[in-house]
Amino acid sequence: MTGFFALLKRELRSITREKTIMFAIIVQFFIASFSSIILVGIMAFYDPSSISDNTHVRIRVGVIASGENVEPLLNYMDNNNISISIFPDIAAAERVFKRGRIDAIMVVPESRGGVVDMQLIMPELDAKKTVVFMLLDEPLKRYENYLREANSVELKYGDTGGKPHTTYEFLYSLIVPILMLFPSLIAGSIVIDTVSEEFENKTFDTLVAAPVSLAQVVMSKMSAAVIAAAVQVVMWVGLLRLNGIVIQNAALVIMLAVIIASAVSVVTAIVALYFKDRERAQFFYSLVLVVLIGGSYFLNPSPFGLITRLAAGDPGLGMLQVGFYAIPLVVAGMLFLRVSRKLVLSKR
Amino acid sequence: MKNILIMSKREITRLRARFSGRSRAIVLILVALTIAGSYVIYHQDLVISKGLYNIGVSDNAPSIVDSRFNVLLVDREMGLSWLEQGTIDLYLDGEGIVSNHTERSEYAAGALQKYLERQELLRVADEYEIDRAFPLRIEIQYLETPDESPDVLTDAARPDIPAPPEPIVMSTDIPASSPSMSMEAPEEPMSESEIEAEIRALMPGISSEPPQPAASETDEAVRQQLADFAVNKQLPEFKAEFLSENDIVIPSLMSPPIPLAQVIITFLYVVPVFFISLFFTSSFTEEKVSRKLIVLLSAPVTRLQVILGKMLPYLVYSIFVIIGVTLVLGGNILLGLAIFTPVMLFIFSIYLIVALTYRTFKDQTFFSVLALSVVTVYLVGPAMFTGVNDLSYISPLTLAVEMYRGESFTVSQYFLATTPLLLVFGQTMFVGTRVFNEEYLMGFRPLHTKVAEAMYLTMDQRHLNISTTFMSMCLVPLVFMVELAAITFVTNLPLPFMLGFMLIVSVVVEEIAKSAGVVILLQNKALKSWKDVLRLAGLSALGFMLVEKLLLFLAISVVSESMFIQALFSGGLLLLPLTLHVVSTAVVCLLTMRFGTRSFPLAIVAGSIIHLIYNLNVLGKLL
Repeated sequence: MTGFFALLKRELRSITREKTIMFAIIVQFFIASFSSIILVGIMAFYDPSSISDNTHVRIRVGVIASGENVEPLLNYMDNNNISISIFPDIAAAERVFKRGRIDAIMVVPESRGGVVDMQLIMPELDAKKTVVFMLLDEPLKRYENYLREANSVELKYGDTGGKPHTTYEFLYSLIVPILMLFPSLIAGSIVIDTVSEEFENKTFDTLVAAPVSLAQVVMSKMSAAVIAAAVQVVMWVGLLRLNGIVIQNAALVIMLAVIIASAVSVVTAIVALYFKDRERAQFFYSLVLVVLIGGSYFLNPSPFGLITRLAAGDPGLGMLQVGFYAIPLVVAGMLFLRVSRKLVLSKR
Repeated sequence: MKNILIMSKREITRLRARFSGRSRAIVLILVALTIAGSYVIYHQDLVISKGLYNIGVSDNAPSIVDSRFNVLLVDREMGLSWLEQGTIDLYLDGEGIVSNHTERSEYAAGALQKYLERQELLRVADEYEIDRAFPLRIEIQYLETPDESPDVLTDAARPDIPAPPEPIVMSTDIPASSPSMSMEAPEEPMSESEIEAEIRALMPGISSEPPQPAASETDEAVRQQLADFAVNKQLPEFKAEFLSENDIVIPSLMSPPIPLAQVIITFLYVVPVFFISLFFTSSFTEEKVSRKLIVLLSAPVTRLQVILGKMLPYLVYSIFVIIGVTLVLGGNILLGLAIFTPVMLFIFSIYLIVALTYRTFKDQTFFSVLALSVVTVYLVGPAMFTGVNDLSYISPLTLAVEMYRGESFTVSQYFLATTPLLLVFGQTMFVGTRVFNEEYLMGFRPLHTKVAEAMYLTMDQRHLNISTTFMSMCLVPLVFMVELAAITFVTNLPLPFMLGFMLIVSVVVEEIAKSAGVVILLQNKALKSWKDVLRLAGLSALGFMLVEKLLLFLAISVVSESMFIQALFSGGLLLLPLTLHVVSTAVVCLLTMRFGTRSFPLAIVAGSIIHLIYNLNVLGKLL
């Protein structure tokens, strides 16, 4: 056993010395930051008020109204901080628009048979039209509901006081699982690289003579990779907490992530021992990974979904579901013990 | 050319030998599984938040068919007590939604409300005639504002645009449109009442009836959108356009443009190319480690031929992939190739750098992952804003999105998107051939030493003036990329820190880039007199500034009205006067000469402080 620990120490040292972990962390940090930028972008679409709240954008709309039913619309726009100028006709409004004094022109005719066919004239410039339309979105929707009510059509469940859920779902169903599972992918890559390096440098032959079993040699590599993964996962839980994102059931989430990292490491060790060169091993690993990730989608709960629900604090989940994922780990481990020696000694 | 082909043939033979017999069978099985799996998942609805919320419902509640919600049938009393305990997040009955006011519950309420809103819209569409259920239709029209540059190609590609409601006569006091407009000083801001007054003054007494589309015309649009609305659930269709001219918008049926198409396009093209280029790196590194590359160098072939020869088969495979993906997606093959060939070359050049620099597989893996994520961000990031912001044209992916939308782009937009990628490829090939020697390839040194060494080898010792200038010119794109990456990182910080951090990072990165060439020459003892150092520092600063200016000019000619660029210009954050560049670079170089290369970091600090003081001064005047 001491031999195993000596080997493990060697592997861990090589991981820290070669700054691999640093790279790994930078990569994940980058992905997380980038995703949050995208999130802000998406939020701007879903929740237009965030544009005006953050940037104090004010727009001015010219309105040409021939009906009397336009009053509510003007009120809704006014409530959303949109300035309004009333024009007698389009030509006048267009002239003012061309001077850049108004940002959009709305032509609101009288309703015909309960229908209002409005015309909205906007700047052609992409960036501007998006902002204009996003700010007009809510007043227009409310106006549509008003017209609907005038036609005695009622929409139920109008206001339930819920919060915009997009960020929440995005965070727990994408960002958190990615951060928790990415270290497993890295663990797999580390195992392949360190194992195939031993073959390419022909150092396995020397190790065969050492007083440790071959399985132990490979296991020390796997353990080092799993430990590295565990450190990253724990770190992410802490960092997310600092950012105000609480991972519920943290112990279970970490446990699940480590179990998956271990299973991935064992499988990749078998792959690496079988192929003995990095080129093929990495390629197969990537393909197997794609198949497994795709396949896991059909599991319920999938690893991804399980992490999502655990982290979001679903009370109906626990040890049982996490324990389920130990099964593939045990199967792969047994397979590994059976075939490792044969694979190492087999010819290339 | 013949030599390159010979090298390529050898590479293919090697690859074939690698994947023969049983490995080939396994590969084929896995690839088949992958394709089959993707097909099945594609045809199901991809839901990422399966079972995220637990909801109790009464028997008179509307039915919920959405896999985000775990639905439990329970009577009101029991349901409310479960809600109290937190076993369920919400309780829904015919009356409405009850939440327990925890955060989770409120998010669930938000999600459920969105879902029910949709169901309600479908219900009213079903129960009432279309005019009553969807009484508001909005026709979108566009009008050019004076500061817009004319988009010739785009307009020419859409010949079917009907004339605007009334002929528009440009009044003479409006300046002609030109890209440089946005660089002019903004007009004095007007007060609210002044604007009102001006608007009133501009209003004549003429009045004409605005043209109205007949209600029956827009009914068709409502039916169309309602049909789309009823089918698409979680994922929007493969469509990225947002508000085209003459679109009829029904506010309640309009969904925000989710930039999903962009992500799908990227992955379809870029992932296979990444796979293929991984083979290239693997093969390259393996031959490097086993010294076969060194043997090749003694053959009568040039270094460029060796590199190109080894790369060519993989490039050809990638081109097949690009053609294949374009065919499957139904795009224009020539356009697809024009857009994605630069992307492919860019990816290959990154992998060539990795293969040249690293000796261990582990480092290579990590560097590749880093490269992959940076490239993805570079490509996907700007393309997210296709059709929203013109700055998105710095990513070639935006062109692809436009292509699949059936829209066109201008030649200058094409060049903005692809030139940087091609330049990177060219530079990499150049550096690659310069460092392609035994000592460099087999050396086992830390990364920064390797980089310095590569830079030294790249410079021509006989023409130091030109090499140094050229070096700092080539570093400008890299500086931009580092700054972009830094922006991504700083978004994690609170706003005041963000700005300060970016100021410091950009200054430090620029100082390093400008002085790197000279300092590396100093390190290799290639410079003796302080006059030489001073001259080269000046040239280096000049070269840097020229390219910086050129890139910004290119960007501005496409992005005529981007506030981002405008801010950079007026703030002078990137475009600093030459004197400052020369002074700070000279300070760094002379300090390094005086105190040795070990004190280079300190010299950078000194130069950066000067640079920073200047920047703050400029900013201070602006604010």
